[in-house]
Amino acid sequence: MTEDVEMKELPSNSLLSSSTPSTLHHLKEIASLIETGAHAREVRRILRAVRLTMALRRKLKAPVLSAFLNFVLTPGSDVHARLNSFLPMEDDNEMEIDTVSSVAQLPVKHSLPEIEIYCYLLVLIFLIDKKKYDEAKACSSASIARVKNVNRRTVDVLASRLYFYYSLCYELTGDLAEIRGNLLALHRIATLRHDELGQETLLNLLLRNYLHYNLYDQAEKLRSKAPRFEAHSNQQFCRYLFYLGKIRTIQLEYTDAKESLLQAARKAPVAALGFRVQCNKWAIIVRLLLGEIPERTVFMQKGMEKALRPYFELTNAVRIGDLELFKSVAEKFSGTFSLDRTHNLIVRLRHNVIRTGLRNISISYSRISLADVAKKLRLDSANPVADAESIVAKAIRDGAIDATLDHANGWMVSKETGDIYSTNEPQMAFNSRIAFCLNMHNEAVRALRFPPNSHKEKESAEKRRERQQQEQELAKHIAEEDDDEF
Amino acid sequence: MDPKLTEVSQRFDRFKAAITRKDYDSCTELLSHLKVLLTSFRSLPPLFENTPNAIHELTLARDIYEHAVLLSVKIEDQDAFERDFFQLKPYYTDAGSRLPGSPNEYMILGLNLLRLLVQNRIAEFHTELELLSSTALQNPCIKHAVELEQSFMEGAYNRVLSAKQNVPHETYGYFMDLLAKTVRDEIAGCSEKAYDYLSINDARQMLLFTSDKELLQYIEEEHPEWEIKNGSVFFQKAKGAAPCKEIPSLQLINQTLSYARELERIV
Repeated sequence: MTEDVEMKELPSNSLLSSSTPSTLHHLKEIASLIETGAHAREVRRILRAVRLTMALRRKLKAPVLSAFLNFVLTPGSDVHARLNSFLPMEDDNEMEIDTVSSVAQLPVKHSLPEIEIYCYLLVLIFLIDKKKYDEAKACSSASIARVKNVNRRTVDVLASRLYFYYSLCYELTGDLAEIRGNLLALHRIATLRHDELGQETLLNLLLRNYLHYNLYDQAEKLRSKAPRFEAHSNQQFCRYLFYLGKIRTIQLEYTDAKESLLQAARKAPVAALGFRVQCNKWAIIVRLLLGEIPERTVFMQKGMEKALRPYFELTNAVRIGDLELFKSVAEKFSGTFSLDRTHNLIVRLRHNVIRTGLRNISISYSRISLADVAKKLRLDSANPVADAESIVAKAIRDGAIDATLDHANGWMVSKETGDIYSTNEPQMAFNSRIAFCLNMHNEAVRALRFPPNSHKEKESAEKRRERQQQEQELAKHIAEEDDDEF
Repeated sequence: MDPKLTEVSQRFDRFKAAITRKDYDSCTELLSHLKVLLTSFRSLPPLFENTPNAIHELTLARDIYEHAVLLSVKIEDQDAFERDFFQLKPYYTDAGSRLPGSPNEYMILGLNLLRLLVQNRIAEFHTELELLSSTALQNPCIKHAVELEQSFMEGAYNRVLSAKQNVPHETYGYFMDLLAKTVRDEIAGCSEKAYDYLSINDARQMLLFTSDKELLQYIEEEHPEWEIKNGSVFFQKAKGAAPCKEIPSLQLINQTLSYARELERIV
């Protein structure tokens, strides 16, 4: 593999025993990886480079970064000066040792745009990790300006990471509204350049921006008009599904919302615990709003028990159908709910609690007076019997319960539920499951990826001769066989 | 003061006088003049430039639009309400930080929520609700609209109708009347499914008619399938009872064909 060959070429710097050189060593490997990727126009290598960088994130330190910048960029260039100004000056000793060693190495300095953008990215990640948000903001704005001028597919991967961190540092300082115009302009540029990964990332960042300020209307308008295509990155697709689910929930389209949210929770990588917790919280509420009770196992997933505890108690209250309990739970955890911004949705749940209570009553009693219904539901209002009557009437109309009302005598008579297997219900349920499995199979087949150039190796002259020889032998063999058969 | 500004303020005073006189035609005329004059101010949305008179102009423009919204309620024009409200909204959201709060803000927001409820645009109702801060939700005008929506969703229609008595502001009256009509249709729909029959008196009470004659007229117009016998109203409910003995053949065929197609695709 070519990557292995490159590693051997770089003279190992492990003469110095401290850990910093090995990080520097890795960074140099990554830089050469990016270079080869840029020259061969292979996006895969750049992807690999980014992944390796993420692994190194914890070990980045200022002197290492300065040494790396000196190695990779021509010192004295604009870029170099700007980036160096962001890095704090630390121990001079360490820097000197590293610079000595790097000079001894005949550094390769092509100053490709990819390398520049990569350096920006590295410095940005470092600043964010060190919580230096103002400098991060300045660095990211500079990098965005640079990216606008470069139009290469190989830069796309790095650029999309840059956009993400750009948005992140503004969000951490609470200034998201400022960059909305910029993000929209970048999205336009990405669309013009057919940069699909960039489009995806930017769309997600824009949706996040709008949803941060609760501007669901505008988010939906953007989402419905933006061009859609096959997802390039699993993580971006998960995020998109989550935002879509949120928008649909607010717009009262619970079935679509449930599908999106559950899919997002399933596709998310196991390491993304916080994201999955959020998805699950919203998914639980949507299921409650749809009238179904999520199973206990949902709340007992590894690592999520504590976070989902308020929702567990809420589900309990809805399941029992007790309005008083529901109110007390909602008040008890109102802080958590406001933080998750699910407060308005919880208010909508009141209606579901009443419905569930009614359903329980209608199943348990064949005939019950409306005054008793009102008492059981604990409706606290001026005229409970009349309220109960109209609520029951509406529930019957919506098909939630199967009963009739008798106004003169003031009672509710439940109907017998017939044998369900004599209807079409089982067939419908079966059909939906079959459709789901088939769909998943199709998607899995479509998602198969083969390494792009494996079948395109040019045959050398020798190989061609060999192959032709083999074919001739085979043809002779078949001809002989035919003769034999006769 | 800027001469344009003075002209606008003068016309605005005339407009306010016309409203109190209930002279709606001249009101609409003056309003269109005012709107044309407002386009010459550069500090208003969508430009939002920072001219020296910006605050004054913004406040004036906001007052004009608020009165336009109230006028549209008085002349009972819902489209005009929507248009004016959309023009008013940026003053509350974007320019809100620069201007002192308007006393009518919550009243108008509540009015808009009520309008969405009456037009049955519940999704937009909830989207608007998300935009309100928690302090806004405590305000009586907005609370009134939210509780109304809850009662409507739950089906406690008598609560909706009793809420008509305690409106926070008189302009709400118009929408409450429209709501009463929607509620009546809903009650009729629910009663149809829930009751086998109702005596004429009960039906009249539930549907809020003052006399039997009105009830009979309503039934004739909207629900001709209800029968009136022996002083009771019989709702047709025989249809859904018998279990359907037919096989939904088209659906079954479609399903089976799709299975066959998918299975063939598996290599």
